[in-house]
Amino acid sequence: MDEGFTLVGMRPAEPSRPVPDRRRRGGIPFLSLAFLAAMILGCLFCRLVMPVDPGYMDLANCARAPGRAFLFGTDAMGRDIFSMIWYGGRASLAVGFLAAAVSACIAVAVGTVCGLGPDWLDGLVMRLTEIFLSIPSLLLVMLLQAALSRSTVAGIALTVGLTGWPRVAKVVRAQVRQLRQSGYVVAARCMGSGLFHLLWRHLAPNFFPAILFMVVMNVRSAITAEATLSFLGVGLPLEVISWGSMLSQAEGALTSGAWWIVVIPGLFLTATLLAITQVGEWLRRRADQGGDAL
Amino acid sequence: MEKLLQIEHLSVCFDAPAGTVEAVRDVTLDLAAGEILALVGESGCGKSALCRAVMGLLPANARMEAARLSVAGTDIRGLRERDMRRLRGKVFSMVLQDPMTSLDPTCTVGAQITEAVRSHAPKLGKDEARRRALELMELVKLDGAAARYDRYPGELSGGQRQLVVLAIALASGPKLLLADEPTTALDVTVQAQILDLLRDIRRELGTAAVLVTHDLAVAARAADRVAVMYAGKIVEIGRAEEVFGDPRHPYTWGLLASLPALAKKGESLYAIPGMPPTLAPPPKGDAFACRNEFALAIDYERQPPMFPVTDTHFAATWLLDPRAPKVTRSVRTGLPDAAEPERRPPAGEVLLDVKGLTHRFPLPGGRSVLALDGVSFQIRKGEIFGLVGQSGSGKSTLARCVMNILRPQAGTVVYQGVDVWGRLSRAERRMLRTDRQIVFQDSAGSLDPRMTASELIAEPLAVNHVVPPRGSLRAEAAFQLHYVGLDPSYLDKYPAQLSGGQRQRVAIARALAMEPSLLVADEPLAALDASIQAQILELFKHLQAQHGFTFLFIAHDLAAVRHLCDRVGVLYRGKLVELAPTEELYVNPLHPYTRALLEAAPLPDPVRERRRPPCRFDEAAFDRSGPLVEAALGHFAVLGGEEAAP
Amino acid sequence: MSVIKRLLAFLLSLLILSAAVFWIARLAPGDPLISYYGERAERLSPADRARAEAALGLDKPIHVQYLRWLQNALRGDLGISYKYKQNVLTVIGDRIGNTLLLGGVGYLLIFSLALALGLVCARWRDRPLDKILCKLGTVTACIPEFWLSLLLILVFSVTLRWLPSSGAWSLGADGGSAADRLRHLALPMTAVVAGHLWYYAYTVRNLVTEQMGAGYVLLERAEGLSRGRILLGHCLRNVLPSYLTIMAVDLPHILGGTYVVETVFSYPGIGTLSYESARYQDYDLLMVLCLLSGAAVMVCNMLAQAVSRRVDPRMGAGMDGEVTDRG
Repeated sequence: MDEGFTLVGMRPAEPSRPVPDRRRRGGIPFLSLAFLAAMILGCLFCRLVMPVDPGYMDLANCARAPGRAFLFGTDAMGRDIFSMIWYGGRASLAVGFLAAAVSACIAVAVGTVCGLGPDWLDGLVMRLTEIFLSIPSLLLVMLLQAALSRSTVAGIALTVGLTGWPRVAKVVRAQVRQLRQSGYVVAARCMGSGLFHLLWRHLAPNFFPAILFMVVMNVRSAITAEATLSFLGVGLPLEVISWGSMLSQAEGALTSGAWWIVVIPGLFLTATLLAITQVGEWLRRRADQGGDAL
Repeated sequence: MEKLLQIEHLSVCFDAPAGTVEAVRDVTLDLAAGEILALVGESGCGKSALCRAVMGLLPANARMEAARLSVAGTDIRGLRERDMRRLRGKVFSMVLQDPMTSLDPTCTVGAQITEAVRSHAPKLGKDEARRRALELMELVKLDGAAARYDRYPGELSGGQRQLVVLAIALASGPKLLLADEPTTALDVTVQAQILDLLRDIRRELGTAAVLVTHDLAVAARAADRVAVMYAGKIVEIGRAEEVFGDPRHPYTWGLLASLPALAKKGESLYAIPGMPPTLAPPPKGDAFACRNEFALAIDYERQPPMFPVTDTHFAATWLLDPRAPKVTRSVRTGLPDAAEPERRPPAGEVLLDVKGLTHRFPLPGGRSVLALDGVSFQIRKGEIFGLVGQSGSGKSTLARCVMNILRPQAGTVVYQGVDVWGRLSRAERRMLRTDRQIVFQDSAGSLDPRMTASELIAEPLAVNHVVPPRGSLRAEAAFQLHYVGLDPSYLDKYPAQLSGGQRQRVAIARALAMEPSLLVADEPLAALDASIQAQILELFKHLQAQHGFTFLFIAHDLAAVRHLCDRVGVLYRGKLVELAPTEELYVNPLHPYTRALLEAAPLPDPVRERRRPPCRFDEAAFDRSGPLVEAALGHFAVLGGEEAAP
Repeated sequence: MSVIKRLLAFLLSLLILSAAVFWIARLAPGDPLISYYGERAERLSPADRARAEAALGLDKPIHVQYLRWLQNALRGDLGISYKYKQNVLTVIGDRIGNTLLLGGVGYLLIFSLALALGLVCARWRDRPLDKILCKLGTVTACIPEFWLSLLLILVFSVTLRWLPSSGAWSLGADGGSAADRLRHLALPMTAVVAGHLWYYAYTVRNLVTEQMGAGYVLLERAEGLSRGRILLGHCLRNVLPSYLTIMAVDLPHILGGTYVVETVFSYPGIGTLSYESARYQDYDLLMVLCLLSGAAVMVCNMLAQAVSRRVDPRMGAGMDGEVTDRG
């Protein structure tokens, strides 16, 4: 045992074994991602999925209950609901993504200008945004919807996008303001880096994760807004199939007891919203951990 | 006699995403009534977890095991939350590090003390509780207790808040006080008062205390006994004089040898190589072995047991085994004699000339704070100029004004004949950008978390379109990284993958990549552990000797400044009150504030600390009205009416 | 002084809001005459049409129309509803009570239930109760309000026939008895509250959880205070200002939800009215409705700020924490 007591000095430390991080992988919402992927694929390639033309009005089979011939039944005009779900999902998802993209662009522009600009400009823009926000967004959308255009997917996406940016802009502005004070931006300014370099190298990559979550949540609220508008009859008309316009027949369906016309599109709508929410929450958790540079 | 606190074989582990972290490993410890024990160790050594375990306040992801854990004769293992609650506050209570967050900002301090008083005496009347709260505020020597009773925490200074926290902790007359880094966030002058207070309270009320700290000097000042912790274990424990006077564990040797306060002027510090190990899972054998130049072969195989040195002094190292070879390390255990102060006028060409720098920050509510008040000084080429000041003294504002980050409201900064806040030509602007570099305190904040070390180091070159002298930007980064003592494997790491010391090295490498003539370092050591501080301090010294750059070193740590700098200026509330060659300043301080600072700074020598009179002064009351006059050759000071030159 | 300043800012905001709404509404390609004359509008001859437009002031440029509207508004004349041919205020007055009942009570219910639910979740965080509530909540928060309303009607009115599916009171019983109104209120109220509850409960849960990590909570526990006491006595106090602000800022959101629910249940309130007026370009009515909503939101914001200042001393002017190392 005595040979253990010879002086050997420092030896390099054993490298610590990396332990696989089970918790973070467990956080990925597989089910939601898979469902979303299935919905998006199904809607994109709806021609392969649909048994019949969704616009075809089979007047002999109006308001049929779900069964062998019509998997999800037919609506009051004899259209096959199963086909309409996929075809209409296209419009709903398109509105969601387009509107979120529109509002994200506006939000990033406004938020960055406010965050970097002088205090008076920031105060003015924020004050105007507040005023803009004080009208219930639905009312605002109806107003804009009436003013801008009528009843196309792009039109609806534009109006919904035009009303959805202030929340994101606020987050961008707060992030930019916070980052502007942060050590590494001060350090970069010390080195003499220009505005573009700052924006591109330091600001954008660092506020992107924080707003990604908001943008995903905006997809969700845009889909909801489209459905609500179309349901109320101010969005997409009955002929343009979307989940919202399918639900606009609900009133008649309720009185006639055709529950499937109300329940089935709504279920798909809610499930999609839920999946998007889960993905958004996951993105937020990741942004909070701040570990996605690794 | 029954001990107040008895801990036997206590282990605490945390379930973290990266695996199970064994934060406290097999700790045995006891504490007599009325005794003050300092628990010393670097961050992550498990000292806070130990305190939490005693309080029964471990987070939900922690597991605890102990053969014995009793306080005042009560075994608290497995006690239910309700029963624990009865003990908390009454038998033991706690003071936390950060006085800014440990009070509820929405309640007055009086209400919070009263609440603590009534928590164990619910039947106490309102007036009675208030009277008791005021008594407690008197006890902790909070000035104007009655006037402060109805104040909110936000209206008090950090030191005052910590006194309130102490009053709350003492509300129900606990027998044991667990103080977790109670003075780390405070200035030395306030720290000295709080440490003295701990001893006063022990004398008056017989309250025992466990003082958790990373600072050996704090332990020397306040503690009767000292326990040194490393990687979750106690490696050495004994009476303060024993641990400081006759240290036995190589880790304690290393810690003491890395303290600038114990080093002679001109001597280099010993820096413990490497970093503390991760504890998930802990290494086999002695965790310190791979940083220990006296490691024995057995250290890599088996954990050492506690060997007794005397009846009260124990150390866990195989070097104390009778079979081990006799090694001793000469560690200086008392303060060195001061060097002969030199009195000479500064020589050399002026590089940076600061004149009458004044800046006032507006506060909400129409008030304002004067951060800089007519500060003037000159730095000559090749000089290491130290600037000492407590928080709020304006030292960072000064750095920002010098570096063109913040435009001062009055005064000029002239660098190499160029007024940096004047109208600049393109060439001048470029010269200023490349010729001056800065290292910030918070290396985690000053490095973009989404860039690799190589990108970070090369960034100033890329931004200024400098052709890299070594071919590519990456080669340049590798060279600089090597220069600050990191190997190329770190090139592709992100800041989050580096330790604090490594990050600071990257920040220094980035600053040096531009080959600056002036380097400004704003509190570069403040966020680092003692052994890492020594590493960085030595690195600065080495680099400066190699490069010959001029160095403005801003810090609050008097010992580090003394170790590194040629000349030192003292900032007090925005005003430069004293300016002198280093040794001259430390041996013959002229301004009362400089003297107070030197008096208040704790020294890692318990014998000397015992003999020191308690220090008590009002931080805000020093005279700073006069002009800076040359009192001796090269020694300038603000001298008021009653202060005569020596 | 600050009161006058705030009042001025409030009035200025209203002015900007009115201008914006006026302008956007007039841009709409729709024909306001339809809401005034109904189907007849389409059969009007060009001359009649011009006369009708002149009578309603629709032939002038927009800014002139706006200034005239402003002049009249300052005199207390906010115009008439084209559809109801009545003074706007009368039309709104008839219905505002219903909305206040549904929206107001709904808002208070959401506010208090969310607070309670959030506190419960935070107190037992990561325990089974919290986990179940979180899962359940996430699902309810995703259901669009109008669909939830439809489902409620399907289950409770159509299938079970327990509760009425529309209106604020039974036909014939003008005004209705309290019990009758309650029966009519039950489903819309459920839809309004269920649609929003979880979002705010989750917000409270996260805010409180964040507070529970603060140093003062640890210190108070070290003093022997119970967790419940700390939660209600301190965390709640600290969370309240942010919560109030969020609730005030989100008022239009909840209001918008109420409007949708009103429309589904044909509940005679402001929501149904707004929907109709936006759809049929009933300008004057729309204008007042927007201003009313906007004013309500702004007042709520101011109230929230005032309460926050009361609760949290840090928010008061001149009471900010001392400056720590600004230098």
